[in-house]
Amino acid sequence: MRWLNLLKANTKKEYIELKRYLPNTIAMLLTFYIIFVGMFAGIQLIGDPSTQDSNIQYAIVNYIFWFLSFMVINSIGYEIINEAMKGTLEQLSMSPMGMWRIMTVRLISTTFINLVIVIVLLYLSMATAGQWLNIDVITIAPILLLTVISMFGVGFIIAGISIILKQVQAFLQILQFILMALTFIPLSVSPVLAFLPFVQGIDMVREVMIHGAAFNQLQVGDFMILGFNALFYFAIGIGVFLYCERVAMKKGLMAHY
Amino acid sequence: MESIIEVQNLRKTYRKRRSKEYVHAVSDISFKVNRGEILGLLGPNGAGKTTTIKMICGLLIPDSGMIRINGIDNKEKRLKALRHISAVLEGNRNLYWRLTVRENLEYFAGNRGMSRKDVIDQVEDLLLKFNLKGKENELVNRLSRGMQQKLAIAVAMLAESDVILLDEPTLGLDVETGYEVREILKAIVRDYNRTIIISSHDMDVIQDICERTVIINQGKIVTDDRVENLLKLFEIRAYTITLGDILNSQQQQLLLQKFPQHDYQQDTYQSILNIELAKSEGIYDLFDVLKLNNTPVEAIDRRTINFEQIFMKIVKGEKQDALAQSS
Ligand SMILES: Nc1ncnc2c1ncn2[C@@H]1O[C@H](COP(=O)(O)OP(=O)(O)OP(=O)(O)O)[C@@H](O)[C@H]1O
Ligand SMILES: [Mg+2]
Repeated sequence: MRWLNLLKANTKKEYIELKRYLPNTIAMLLTFYIIFVGMFAGIQLIGDPSTQDSNIQYAIVNYIFWFLSFMVINSIGYEIINEAMKGTLEQLSMSPMGMWRIMTVRLISTTFINLVIVIVLLYLSMATAGQWLNIDVITIAPILLLTVISMFGVGFIIAGISIILKQVQAFLQILQFILMALTFIPLSVSPVLAFLPFVQGIDMVREVMIHGAAFNQLQVGDFMILGFNALFYFAIGIGVFLYCERVAMKKGLMAHY
Repeated sequence: MESIIEVQNLRKTYRKRRSKEYVHAVSDISFKVNRGEILGLLGPNGAGKTTTIKMICGLLIPDSGMIRINGIDNKEKRLKALRHISAVLEGNRNLYWRLTVRENLEYFAGNRGMSRKDVIDQVEDLLLKFNLKGKENELVNRLSRGMQQKLAIAVAMLAESDVILLDEPTLGLDVETGYEVREILKAIVRDYNRTIIISSHDMDVIQDICERTVIINQGKIVTDDRVENLLKLFEIRAYTITLGDILNSQQQQLLLQKFPQHDYQQDTYQSILNIELAKSEGIYDLFDVLKLNNTPVEAIDRRTINFEQIFMKIVKGEKQDALAQSS
């Protein structure tokens, strides 16, 4: 019940801020859409006509995932820096629920809200490109869930680092390119990549959305890697976060002023 | 009486940024606070008030020492201990400026695991008591500094914690709002059974609200006593003596020997002597000096010293002297 109240409060806050700063939100979505149109036009202009359709389909899926991971992971870092400067981070840290629980529900609510946005963008992109992908919700949902959990793990690592390092902004800017690499690299480059966060998951989603794979056509081994990654990165993420929180409490870094 | 907060041998050292120097912010602080007590934490800039408060709030881990909140060790069971505590920290940094008054109250309650329904009555009550009714849908960044501070206190109240810590709650407020916040604090003391710890440099605030004060300077406790006792301690021995003549040089010499701290002002026919006696018998020494030249005494007034003067004396280490000499 306390978890649920925590989740409700944080989802509401996020929703209010998104609504109150609607112009920002719209500008962000527009930017996303314009970049997509640019990419789409680029593929049509210079791409090989024989692979054009599949290139566009890859672009849609990769780009959508990059947007989601970027929104979730980067925003938790920026939020922490922002709250450390404004001082509210100390209030969060004093919650008897524990800051890691607040961060967890924030990750969940950010993902949920952004997922809604991503779905809208996905249909918009498909309509623009005239390419209709296989949106098999039943198959995609479990893959997405496990992928998102490993994404949370990375989010926690970023959150932890953001608490103790003040000049983390520069790193967050680089991070979006790292995320881009992780979402754009196909697994066929090297099978070891499957153990990086969310590479495996996105590969499986591509399998479903582009190649029309059904649930029973997916490999059990792939799901196991996905499950392992989810657990592994989430555990590492929480561990790093709790460690960083402790360092901050020892050195008095919870407030950056 | 049952103590709800127990602080023992607390120490905290900070390392200065980009150097190997250390700052001993708190060195060996111990005190207890009883349930329902209003404790003032008083000290000059850099005394270690904020550091002490943050350690009690679990925001800073002490280098050594122990803190118990309602019997719970806040090192071993940090989150459990935090249930009994809420705090308004220094400055205007306790609220979300982009949310409204009501949204802030509800959000912070949610962060402690409470639902909107759980707190709906209390929110109404607090809005009324804190004179924030009618402002509830206003964004916090549009509120005056005083209102923001009141809201921050309301948020801390809503947490239903036994202990509320307030770090410099009237700092940066103008006289009028400072006074209003003080009235609110008094109302909390009167109407709600909470234990409160207030830090301040403002003696007036402490004298007005607190029953007991712990005075710290350079990370150490200088005194821990009831406010009225501190006032008494100094009140009895300060005199203003109006003389019907001026003192001759021999008298002045003697006076300087016996009362090095005195203050003497003279004009042609009259003079005024301000004196503080280390012990009550000191008055006889004074009379001996006056008798030398049969200086007429026109009036002897006992001066009241305000808390600020006491504080300054204590910080300068005069209390030890006063205590030593009076015993
Ligand atoms: N994060 C920090 N890093 C390094 N030194 C610090 C830090 N926080 C406080 N200090 C130092 O520790 C000492 C005690 O500071 P503290 O903030 O506890 O004092 P204070 O009594 O609250 O003072 P003020 O009245 O100015 O608020 C000061 O010398 C201060 O400079
Ligand atoms: Mg302070």
